[in-house]
Amino acid sequence: MMARARAQASARGGTQFLDPAVLARISNLELLSRTVVDGFLTGLHRSPYLGFSTDFAEHRQYMPGDDVRLIDWKLFARSDRHYIKLFEAETNTNFMVLLDVSASMSYGSHEVTKLDYARYLAACLTFFSHRQRDRVGLVTFDQEIVKYVPPSMKRMDTILHVLDQAEAGRAGSLKEPAMQMAELLGRKGIVVVISDFYEDPDTVLAAIAPLRGRGHDVIVFHVMDPAELGFPFDQPSGFEDLETGEQIPVIPNRLKDDYIRLVKNHLAELERRFTDNRIDYTLLDTSKPLDLALFQYLLAREHSSRKR
Amino acid sequence: MSLALLVPLFLLGLAGVVVPIVLHLTRRQRRNVVHFPSLMFLERIPYQEQRRRRIHYWLLLSLRAAALALVAVAFARPFFERDTSGVGAASGPQEVVVLIDQSYSMEIADQFDRALDEARRIFNELGPLDRASLVMFGQGARVVTRSTADRSQLTRALDTVQISSSATRFGPALKVSQTILEESELPSGEVFLLTDFQRNAWTGDEGIQLPAGSKVTAVQLGDETSDNIQVADVALAREAVSGRERVTPTARLTRRGGEQAKEVMVSLEIDGQELQSRPVTIPPNGSATVAFQPFTLSQPHTRGAVRVPSDDLSADNAHYFVVSPGTALAMLVVEGGAAARDASLYLQRALAISERRPFDVNFRRSSVVRAQDLVGTDGVIINDANVDGASAERLRRFVDAGGGLLLVLGQASGWPNSAADMLPGTIGQVQDRLQSRGGRLGFLEYGHPVFEPFAGPRSGDFTGARFFRARDFTPADSATVLARFDDGSVALAELRYGRGTVLVWTSTLDNFWNDLALQPVYLPFVHRISEYVGGRTEALPWFTVGQVVNLADPEALQTAGLVSAKAAGLVDGLDQVALTPSGQSVRLPAGDGPRYLLLEEHGFYVVRPPGSDPDRPFVIAVNVELEESNLARIDVEELVAQVGTATVGPEDGPDFAQATEMRMVDQERRQSLWRWVLLAAFSLFVSETLLSNWVSRKAGVPGVATS
Repeated sequence: MMARARAQASARGGTQFLDPAVLARISNLELLSRTVVDGFLTGLHRSPYLGFSTDFAEHRQYMPGDDVRLIDWKLFARSDRHYIKLFEAETNTNFMVLLDVSASMSYGSHEVTKLDYARYLAACLTFFSHRQRDRVGLVTFDQEIVKYVPPSMKRMDTILHVLDQAEAGRAGSLKEPAMQMAELLGRKGIVVVISDFYEDPDTVLAAIAPLRGRGHDVIVFHVMDPAELGFPFDQPSGFEDLETGEQIPVIPNRLKDDYIRLVKNHLAELERRFTDNRIDYTLLDTSKPLDLALFQYLLAREHSSRKR
Repeated sequence: MSLALLVPLFLLGLAGVVVPIVLHLTRRQRRNVVHFPSLMFLERIPYQEQRRRRIHYWLLLSLRAAALALVAVAFARPFFERDTSGVGAASGPQEVVVLIDQSYSMEIADQFDRALDEARRIFNELGPLDRASLVMFGQGARVVTRSTADRSQLTRALDTVQISSSATRFGPALKVSQTILEESELPSGEVFLLTDFQRNAWTGDEGIQLPAGSKVTAVQLGDETSDNIQVADVALAREAVSGRERVTPTARLTRRGGEQAKEVMVSLEIDGQELQSRPVTIPPNGSATVAFQPFTLSQPHTRGAVRVPSDDLSADNAHYFVVSPGTALAMLVVEGGAAARDASLYLQRALAISERRPFDVNFRRSSVVRAQDLVGTDGVIINDANVDGASAERLRRFVDAGGGLLLVLGQASGWPNSAADMLPGTIGQVQDRLQSRGGRLGFLEYGHPVFEPFAGPRSGDFTGARFFRARDFTPADSATVLARFDDGSVALAELRYGRGTVLVWTSTLDNFWNDLALQPVYLPFVHRISEYVGGRTEALPWFTVGQVVNLADPEALQTAGLVSAKAAGLVDGLDQVALTPSGQSVRLPAGDGPRYLLLEEHGFYVVRPPGSDPDRPFVIAVNVELEESNLARIDVEELVAQVGTATVGPEDGPDFAQATEMRMVDQERRQSLWRWVLLAAFSLFVSETLLSNWVSRKAGVPGVATS
């Protein structure tokens, strides 16, 4: 947590482009993702996490001027000589994004809808991974898979196009698309799930856990609009479900506390259940910049590389 | 009696009762829809809306539903439909005509005040859709207020009417009411006749027929038993004594009613001062005559009155008259220069004999009529003379200016052709009827003023005179033949020329061609025809209420007794003012048209220039119609029966459906139940508001009070 806070603090000056409201004005997703990732990396300067995604290749004797952080201290202990690690340039890790495009994702109480925010996030993460020479893929789903772009080094443009064309439509259900994805993704990789998770935590875990069970590193981004979190309504109104069309009269003053309490419980339960299943879970507020998500992603990669 | 609705279509508004129920039971908020990603959490909250599906406050809902229902019922205009059997009531709103008798007989026993009270009662009982008219009548009828629903206007109109001096006639009043009812759009009508029902007021042949659906309601006010003494007539006998005229008034009194002979004092007033009084005893239902001492008549327009003490009917207790000294007529009699000396003997003698109204006769034995002979002359008699052209032209101007000319034809008569147009015909040859023992007068125009005095029986017999000769005379188209002989030839013809008149007598006025001069009618005939030619008009000592005098007509003024316009201060072309007996001032503006003065009151009308007070103003005496004093009553049922009512038929009266609708509207208006229903609805709304607020405060949240 200290590292993340430090990273956030150091990146604050270069993340002006990560503001969702600003990003919303950039229509080209490639330009957007490039802007975000380059700006983000520029802001990090000498990031300690640089190169973490590369694989070890060989040892080379230490020469003055080399980065002391690359010295293999275990080998020094055994041989009493300084060697540094050399890594391969690409790792060819599969990076899949599962993007929820159900109707509920079309909600937005301000300029950026949840789908827009998720789209930016997916584009940025994909672009980021693509620059790390990962094979990137994309799956959009609602109650079933809508679009599927298999992981590849050469389909970045396709992914960005699919993201650009993604529209929220039908009601969403995570279980079926997740089961299909578990069968489609044979090679272990990184799976990023972006959704608003309007389902029971048991159902969500039942859908996500198999991915983890197959050895994927699963990172979950829970996208929520600030209105969904704070329920700032005050006028008695008819609330209409974006997915089912059902409408009920609501007197916000009487329901606000109960609603917030239920939402918090839901989020807490999801976080607990994901954590228990060793799945990285991040709650994203669509009114907040994207850097939190990016940092979360980097932390996950760091965690993954340490395990290796 | 059943409850009915005037506009039942408004009951569709009862459907509004379900509105609050639907609002309670429906859970959709039609306004301000918020799209939300998912209702997953909201639906988990035990939400109050679920309770909206049930009705918690039945009382509140009942109040709202009842209030809405009452509003709908109020708009449907409920009323209790009464089963009415009366003609007028059954046919809806009525056109009411109130006829009030304002004749002077109504003053007996406050009948007029009772009539006004009865009229007020009728007006106060009018329905909202009824219309009423107020008609005051005597000899004529006057619509005071015509067909209005404004009761206050009708009541105010009653305050302005008063009793009059006229007699009673039902005909004009009922005719006016017939017109009002015929013009009315209301389905039925009722005529209230408020009078004392004198028999004299109804002849039965007035031809009144009220429209269908109308009826006459007689409101009898009179009491036939009264004791009334009236001055029925005053005879003014004149005689000339020592060059002055003396008048002897003789009054005839009649008494209606009473049980015993009654002595009353009868007084004579001249110019407002009582000169004499005489006691007289009058038996019940009898009459008496009172002869006063003669008085000298020296001033023109002398006012006189004969009075008896006031009784139940005061209007006929005085008899008014106006007398003026008689004036001599200036007559010019022209004989031919070659005429016999006794050619005008009979004429001269006849004109010289006169007890009053003397003739100032100027005889001229010459066929030439000079201009100075005509100055101051009222009439000219050309007695068997041959008139030359110059004289004829002078006579033309004389006649055109208003003079009178009598042309007596004889053997020597002649008239120039240049002035033939001013004669009523063409003079022909002498017709001799000696072989047939003379002709006789076979036709007389008794309607003409010359022969009017002889119209009655034993008033003069012209058939006794034999006419042996006469001039043939062919009347012009514009002439009027006043007398013909038994063979149809013209005896007397007249032509109005300019402002004057020309008469032609086709035989002589002596005993040469006829023996008329030897007949008793000769003297009055010569007097009448001379007075007519001289322009003398019989002055009436009094008029009767209801008559009209045209003060712009000189003849009418003479008839009215104006003998001295100078003394009266009246000048042609200037405005005049007539003061009525009650003191009202009637302006009579000058102008080319007639200047009518309607004599509506009994007493003296004084006519004078505005702002002046002449010594002897022109006065017209007016007396009441005496038959109004006869209080004999007509059978009311007979009168009502004689006032015909058109048969009610489908095609006659107003449309039945329309009448029914108007009746329903009338009943609804009378009852006005909708006001109370609406008031009840308002009360329920107030109660609902109070209860709702209380429930809201109790529930703590506005908007859920009804759930």
